[in-house]
Formats: sequence, C-alpha cells, structure tokens
Amino acid sequence: MNDIGEFILLVALATALYGVVSYVMAINGNRIDLYLSADKTPVIVWGCVVIASIALWRAFLTDDFSLQYVWAYSNRELDTFYKVSSFWGGQKGSLLFWTLILTTYMTVVYFQNRKKNIRVMPYAMTIMLLIVIFFLFLLNFSTNPFERIPLPPEDGRGLNPLLQNYWMVIHPPTLYLGYVGFTVPFAFAMAALISKNLDDGWIRLTRKWTLLAWFFLCMGNLFGASWAYVELGWGGYWAWDPVENAAFMPLLVATAFLHSIQIQEKKDMMKVWNMSLVLLTFVMTIFGTFITRSGLIQSVHTFDEATLGYYFLGFLGVIISICVTMIILRLPLLKSKNELDSFLSRESSFLFNNLVLLGIGFATFWGTIFPIISEAVRGVKITVGPPFYNQVNVPIGLVLLALIGIGPVIAWKRATWSNLKKNFLMPVAAALIAAAVLFPIVPLKERAEIFTYITFILCVFVMTCILKEFFKGALARREQHGGTFIGEVASLTWHNKRRYGGYIVHIGVVLIFAGIAGSQAYGVHDQRHLKIGESIKLRNYTITYEKLNAVEATSVKTRVIAQIGVYRDNQRVWTGRPEKEFYKGQNQPVSEVDVLSTIVEDVYLILADFREDESATIKVYINPMVSWLWTGGWVIAFGTMVCMWPDRLEQRRRLSRMKKQEALFAPAQE
Amino acid sequence: MMPKKTKFVIGSAFIVIAIGYLISMGISTTSQYFFTVDELMSQKVSYAGTGLKVKGNVVNGSIVRDSDNFLKINFSIEDKSSNLDVIYEGIIPDMFKDGQEVVVEGTLAKDGVFHANTLLTSCPSKYEAEKEAGKSHPGTLPNLDKYKDLNPKSTESLPKTKI
Repeated sequence: MNDIGEFILLVALATALYGVVSYVMAINGNRIDLYLSADKTPVIVWGCVVIASIALWRAFLTDDFSLQYVWAYSNRELDTFYKVSSFWGGQKGSLLFWTLILTTYMTVVYFQNRKKNIRVMPYAMTIMLLIVIFFLFLLNFSTNPFERIPLPPEDGRGLNPLLQNYWMVIHPPTLYLGYVGFTVPFAFAMAALISKNLDDGWIRLTRKWTLLAWFFLCMGNLFGASWAYVELGWGGYWAWDPVENAAFMPLLVATAFLHSIQIQEKKDMMKVWNMSLVLLTFVMTIFGTFITRSGLIQSVHTFDEATLGYYFLGFLGVIISICVTMIILRLPLLKSKNELDSFLSRESSFLFNNLVLLGIGFATFWGTIFPIISEAVRGVKITVGPPFYNQVNVPIGLVLLALIGIGPVIAWKRATWSNLKKNFLMPVAAALIAAAVLFPIVPLKERAEIFTYITFILCVFVMTCILKEFFKGALARREQHGGTFIGEVASLTWHNKRRYGGYIVHIGVVLIFAGIAGSQAYGVHDQRHLKIGESIKLRNYTITYEKLNAVEATSVKTRVIAQIGVYRDNQRVWTGRPEKEFYKGQNQPVSEVDVLSTIVEDVYLILADFREDESATIKVYINPMVSWLWTGGWVIAFGTMVCMWPDRLEQRRRLSRMKKQEALFAPAQE
Repeated sequence: MMPKKTKFVIGSAFIVIAIGYLISMGISTTSQYFFTVDELMSQKVSYAGTGLKVKGNVVNGSIVRDSDNFLKINFSIEDKSSNLDVIYEGIIPDMFKDGQEVVVEGTLAKDGVFHANTLLTSCPSKYEAEKEAGKSHPGTLPNLDKYKDLNPKSTESLPKTKI
C-alpha cells in the first residue's frame, strides 16, 4: 500500500501536468477534443490524492513504522483518535493533507460549475491545477510522506503530548479548510483577469466560497486560541507569534474583501481594489505557509525543514509577479463606472473599514518580518513582541470597532444631518450612559485600562446600532404580519439572510472585542510554592493547595494531580485539579491546566512543579471575560451560517442573472 | 469645492499616515535586540542595562535551584564559543532542561549576568532535529529522575484513581 501511495502521487503530478497543458492548448487552439480530455484531469488528480491519503492513514492505523513519517509521529499505544490526526501532525503529512483539501475543493468547484460556467472553467481549472502541481511537486520530490526506513523499528516515537488534545483533531483541519479555501476565489479572479471577463461575475461565483473559507479561517484561529489557552499553560490565548500572525493576516484581508465586494455589487466601483484584495488574500496564505515552514522567523511552532522555505519563497515570488502583471495589463478594463460621493456615506465607511483592516494587517506583517528587515538593513536582529502589536493594533482596532457600528447604518451615497440624527441618536445616548456607569467602576490609570474603557463604550454603541436595526425591522414586520416580536426577528433574518446574518456576525465580533479588552486589562496572576494546606489570596479568591495525588499510570502515561480548593468570598466554589502528565517515549512532562469558567471571569490553575515533600508550585490566573471570546466565536459561526444558507430569493435572482452570465463569460477574444 | 476624488485621497492618506506613525512609534518604543550568545559577546557595543532577547543552549549541569526560593534558578546558556550566566525567577517551562535551546528575555547587568524575566523553550515541533541527534529512544519511559523519588510511601497512601 505504501508503494501504491508513493506511486499514485507521481501519477497525480503527471495527470495534473497533462491537464494544464491540454487545457491551455484547448483554449488557444479552440480544440474541443483536447478540452474534453483535459476536463477529466481535476477529478482524476483528486482520486489519486485520496488514494495516497488513504494509504498514509492505513499506515498510521496499522502501525507501519517502516514509514519514517509514521515512526516520527505515532506509536503503538497512541489512541486511534490521535493516529488519525497524526496524519497532519508534521510537515510531510500536513502538506499531503493540504493537497487533499485543495483537490477536494477543486473537484467540488468542478462539479458545481462545469455546466453553468463552461466558458470560464478551463481558466479556473488551469489555475487550480497549477497550484496543485506545486504541492504535488513538493510531495514527490522534497517531502515525501512515504519515505521508508530501511530497517523498520519496533515502535514509533509517538505524538508530542502537546498535540494529544482534542483540538488537534479540530484545529488544523479547520484552519486548513480556511487557508486552502481562498484558492477558489483566487482561481476565478485570475480566470477573469486572463479571459478579460472583468464584470463582477467572478465575485458572484465565488462569494460563498470566500465566505466559507473566511468562516473556517476564523474558526481555525479561535480554535487555535482555545487550544493555546487550555494546553500551553501560560494563561493566554494569543501571543502574536509569527505563526499566529500568519493565520491572522489573510483573515484581515479577506474580511476587507468581503466588505468591499458589496460596493462593487451595488455600485460597480472599486474593481481594481477588489481584485487586488482577493489576490492579496491568497498571497497572504502562501506567505503564512512560507513563514510557518521556512523556520526563517523565530517562532514557537515552526516546522523544521528549511529547504522547503525556498520553494515557498519562489512560489510566492512567481505568484506576486503574475498578480501584479495581470492587474497592470487589465487596468483599462477594470475602470469603475461610479465614484464616491460623500465622506458621510456607507460607501466611504466601507472604504475606511478596508483601510483600517489592511492597516492592522500591515502592522502585523511589519512586526512579523521586522527581525529580517533590521538584520538586512542594520546588521542586528531586532524583534518586536506583544507590546508592539498591542500598542499599534489596539487604537486601529478601536476605529474598526466604531466603523462596525456606523457602516451598516449610515445611508448610501450621502447621509444627511437628519438621517444621522435618526440613526445615531440612540446609540450615542447608550454609549454616553455606558461611559457614565462604567466610569466609577473600572480602573483608569494605565494606558491599557483607558483603552479598555473606550472599548467597552464602543461595544455598547455598536451593539445598540445593531440591535436597533433588528428592532426596527421586526417592528415594521409586526405591523404588517402581526406575529410575536421574537418570531418577527427570526423571519426578518430569514428573509434577509445576507444582511442580518452579517449583523449577527458583527454581534459576535463585538463580544470578542469586549472579551479581549476585559481579559487583557484586568487579568491578575500570582505564583507561589505552597505546602499542603497553604493558600494564595488573589482578588476575592482564596486558593488552597489541599493534596497531591499520584495517579496510577496507563501503559503510556503517568499523572500527578494537585487538588486545589477555590473559595470566593470565603465560600467554596470549586475544586480544581491541575496536573502534570508524563508520557512514555517523550522526555518532557506536560502541564494540564484546570479552568473554572464563568461569564464574569475564569479561575485558571497550573501545577507548575512539585517536590518530594509534596509541596508544589501553583500558578493562578484570574482572567476576566474570556468566555465572551468563545461565545463571540459561536455567534460568528451562527451568523456566517445564516449568510451562507441557500436562499430561494437569492437563487431566483441568480437565475435571472444566468442569461447575463452566459454572455458574461463569452470569451472576449473570440 | 475640492474635487471629490482629492477629498478621498486626502482622507485616506490621513488614515495611512496615522497608521504609519503608530507603527514607527511602536517599533521604536517596544523593540528588543535579539542575539545568540555568541553574537552578544562579540558585539563591541555594551548592551548593559538594555532589554535583550538572547538565544542559546543550557549548559549541562549548570542549572542551580535557589534553596530558599523554589521559583528562582541560576543557569548558563552557551553557543559555539561563549556562554552567559542567567538568573531567572518564575515558572520554569516543562521542557527546560540541560542542553535545551532556550530564549531568555531581560536585561544584562553590569557584571555580565543576565537577569531574565521570561524564559522560553523552543517548541517540541522540532522533532526532526531530535531525531538527527539520536536522542530519542522509542518505547522507553521519559527521564523521571527528578520526580522518581516522590515519596513512594505517601504516594501509596493517597487515593488512587484508575484511568
């Protein structure tokens, strides 16, 4: 089966190459026979990659340690659950996994569009196949997951304990589904550029794909944050690590894109801008992969194979050159019909939202690559850490937050004074009340605390703006239909999925802003070496170290658990059990934290160390409002589902566009 | 009245400049030098008193725990040709051990001792390097020396949970 896996990857590469060549020849020579033959290749390539993946999974599940990759990331005692997820535990497998998702997307796109958008498909498929070829090339000639060990060892080294967590099964696939998903809009945008079909047909075609990719990337980031929070034991969920930034930057650009395409759809403007954003999103995903896999930038979780970095750097260079060239070549065709009217309009708020999102993206990018730049320019390596990102991104983020409230409410084209008063009187009043109420409650000494205060006020402002929209719409519906208020809110949303789904996403974002602000500014922590019976006092909590349990080992792990009584205002509220685990085959212990999570705050306990006399070092964090962050994530998930839900109205609109689209993709050069 | 386009160009330029200003301010107030031990020692300039990040490997046998303060340790980190004494107080990462590659953040005192406020160990995803160094022995239990003499009697008297 390993031979088959290795061989089939070569077959996949050859087929993809054949596909590209014959698509190109078919397009240029108008050869229908070649087209028909080329048009089978995407599915065949997908089939090959599926077989290769099955072969690798089989090797993991049957403990086939003759494969170097399986030996390095699995062992006999590993749970089946983790044997399945070890597939993407390291460099080689994760590249195969990437290719699997990419080709699967390609196949879905193929079946979705091959009848409807026959004119543009050869172009889009060629682009996707070219990207697939790059990954297949790496898999075949640089990081082959089917590489053998001449004398197969008895047992593997096992999966790193930090990766033995259920998030390992959820986080990487989610992130990859997002990351890879942006290939689809990229391919169609490129297809539009090459075939000169530069109406917004490609945006309509790929809007849901973009949304889907955005959704997965967003969830992937949040899941990563959850994983870091429960597994790494430093009490935080985001460290501005280069690899985290790598997944954050495309998310920002894609968010900007999702907003500004609405301007193109409604107003036929910003075509060059939108095209640039979609290309940039894809470029950022490849750049992120380059950072993660080159080891060029010091990070806590880089893969360890520097040569791969050069391939990605080359790939990145080629893509950027092509993108820039294509946009310049097609500039005359990307002229907008309209222009912006007034500063006080929805269009301009979208423009500013874009600038601000890209601003955060650029600040993050600059901070990430600054060590390389400073070394090249000044000869010394200078790094920036979380303080830099907080100092720069917090103020920009606050402008963004304000725009979330203003953007969707302000009138199109040109807002008048009375119109502004009507829309913003109540939110501003609510914000002022919040400011007055919070003023005596929250501390306001440090910079971070002042920013947090402003964040909370803005959150109230934005929330009022959004809820007012729901309220207004539901009231209007109730006058027409006379249902219950809640029912009307639901049917309002149901009948305007894109708009109200978007609002729901915004509510989630507001919750996340509040959660981040609260947990960053008001968190406290303490660490002590305690004997049994001793306590740490922190805020209104007393944390008492009660005993140490040595727990009988399974065949693979030994656990040492501390029992800790947590008292709030002298009332016992919880018994925490943080632990240290020792895995067979791994030469380091793993701390498992224990968290009491409430709507107000988290009590986060770590058993940092212990001694023979059963004294132990305990670290306690009080992290306010962390649960708001996770709740916000679920609200975003729900809102995005609403946005993406198939809509009969939308379908009817699309049907009426179908005829237009037919003309749309008539090749301009024929 | 200005042409509409000019107005927007100015407005956007204002935002871009503001962001640029924030970035340059951020860099100048928060950046840290990042050296390996060798690089730090070979610099002609003195970095005493400045915030630094230094990367090196823990010298074998150099880790000394303070007998009074469990959270305080002294150790040395080395590179190819030089080494640096470090004092650190705080939680010691799980992976901190002899030979481990670490990054310390803190300040260099006049006497050449590094006072670290952060101790980072490189993440374990670097399995490959470990494999090449031949350090891993599949199937053996981790080195539990430090924990092995956790008093067996008292351990047995504790309630045991079977998992």
